[in-house]
Amino acid sequence: MGSLEGLMTGFEVAFSLTGILFVLIGVFVGTFIGMLPGLGPITAIAVMIPITYGMDPSTALVMMAGVYYGAVFGGSTASILLNAPGISGTVATSFDGYPMAQQGKAGKALAIAAVASFTGGTVSVVLLMLFAPALASVAVAFSPAAYFALMFMGLTAISSLSEGSTVKALISAVVGFMVATIGIDAQTGTQRYTFGNVSLLEGLDFLVIALGLFALAEVCSLIINRKDLSVNNAHKLGSLRLTKGDFNEMKGPVTRQSFLGFILGVLPGAGATIASFIGYITEKRIAKNPDEFGKGSVKGLAAPETANNAATSGAFVPLLSLGIPGSGTTAVMLGAFMVLGVQPGPLLMTDHPEIFWGIIASMYLGNVFLLVLNLPLIPYIAKILKIPRPLLISLVIMFSIIGVYAISFSTFDLYMLLLFGVVGFLMRLFAFPAPPLILAFILGGMMEQSFRQALTISNGSMMVFIKDPISLSLLIVALLSFTFPLIRQIRSRKG
Amino acid sequence: MLKTMNQKVSIVLILVGIGYLYMTSNLPSYPYSPVDADVIPTGLGWLLVGLAVLLYFTKDSETKEQKARRDIPKKDIGALLAVFIFIFFYILLLEVLGFIVSTAVFIFFSSWFLGYEKFKTNIIVSILFPLFIYLTFTQFLKISLPEGILPF
Repeated sequence: MGSLEGLMTGFEVAFSLTGILFVLIGVFVGTFIGMLPGLGPITAIAVMIPITYGMDPSTALVMMAGVYYGAVFGGSTASILLNAPGISGTVATSFDGYPMAQQGKAGKALAIAAVASFTGGTVSVVLLMLFAPALASVAVAFSPAAYFALMFMGLTAISSLSEGSTVKALISAVVGFMVATIGIDAQTGTQRYTFGNVSLLEGLDFLVIALGLFALAEVCSLIINRKDLSVNNAHKLGSLRLTKGDFNEMKGPVTRQSFLGFILGVLPGAGATIASFIGYITEKRIAKNPDEFGKGSVKGLAAPETANNAATSGAFVPLLSLGIPGSGTTAVMLGAFMVLGVQPGPLLMTDHPEIFWGIIASMYLGNVFLLVLNLPLIPYIAKILKIPRPLLISLVIMFSIIGVYAISFSTFDLYMLLLFGVVGFLMRLFAFPAPPLILAFILGGMMEQSFRQALTISNGSMMVFIKDPISLSLLIVALLSFTFPLIRQIRSRKG
Repeated sequence: MLKTMNQKVSIVLILVGIGYLYMTSNLPSYPYSPVDADVIPTGLGWLLVGLAVLLYFTKDSETKEQKARRDIPKKDIGALLAVFIFIFFYILLLEVLGFIVSTAVFIFFSSWFLGYEKFKTNIIVSILFPLFIYLTFTQFLKISLPEGILPF
């Protein structure tokens, strides 16, 4: 099936009545959850997974994609209105978005964010449409050794690029991989670390980890800050209208960041956070009057907003065409695929063109929804920010519990959820990043499988990872990506 | 010897690594596979120990803000513990009392405990919310949730 034909199939899925309806639901719910303090795309996707249970996979995934970029958009709204970015991907948005809101121009800031998100999102969907099939056709020829090396590189990249100490990030990744080894070993049938517990035979469900480390850990932070009243200080919106001058100012950053954001989204480990910061910094550097940045500059708001949305679609390139997530969020997205029995990867495009192209086509629609439906509704949706903290905390806990229970129907998993909530909170206290853990947990099983497949083919010789040129070059990149920060850390210790 | 936070955390991690390696060494071997079930775990165990040793010798580069995050007032630690005990009982009673009743009780008491004073709103929310979710899941999504003591 050619790309054009595939895209037509995709549009049929996305523009069917159910398709439109579920994109709408996804985008709306995503915006809603993303706006809540501390809850980002990971929680939004994880909470929505049980709902997709039993749905048609293409419809379900079209909705989940909507939840993802809807949550990114919702996060920006909280950044602008409250200076309380729900997730790291929208921190840079608050630099200029919040000052603008303080000046009584919150409506204008939201409109700029919406237009910038829309453009960044749409441009990068076009790029996604062009690149994903090309990458998929190359990836079909990847050997198990190359796949292992690719995932290894993804893990080292996310660790060396995450905030704070690289050593801590690598430890998070190793622990995530360790947790993934719990259960029956697929190749030999050996029980590993199950302590004879039947509930552990299949290993832990990724929702237990995702909701524990992100949603419940956030609940802990919310409990400590439950008396924080900043929510009540939300500014008046003002007019949503943009002038010609605003558009002229946005033109440059939006165009540049659409492309840059996309590229950073494709790269493993980078994603929305890094794209938005780099977007902000580059625009500040090349701006004629960089002093305006941080005081409510149109450019300073448009740049990170464009970049984080462009990166969001960019992150779908490795997920759809290689089946390998490059970030914590796409790792949970991969989990959503697996719950529905869909294995993304190079074969997805040929085996399930309706899913592959359906998701891509639906993103056009989703971006339009974000712009024309969500923008005028924002003042109303923003009312949920006024939900009293105690009530919000109880409801988030309830949603986490349902999320896990509706998938596993076991209270054992709920106790594990509680345990990972504690672990996630401790990780926050001691500044260990959680995204490497969830990514390693999801990649762990696949990595072990391809590692052993590669060694089985080579009769146990480790040379297979060096002889394969793709594998060798990926491993070298991986090695460099974490040795540099390590050396830097050790040097800074001496100096 | 254990002056910095990194050093304390590192010791805990080294112990976790050793425990994991010990359990790995007890895994039964399977003679017909070129790569047995303990190969990757052994590597992971040593990797964790190695990284933890590295952490031990890494200078604390924490900002004051990060350090302050660990200074949780005693009252809040109590609140955290209490909420976790609430959750524990919620899970314990979920299949006994059923989804609607246990969730309603949980939402009401946890919100009240955390300082939500509007009594009436709290009651309405904690009854309507579980009811709405229950009906959505069982009727619309066809996912059954525990019925418990209620007859429907």
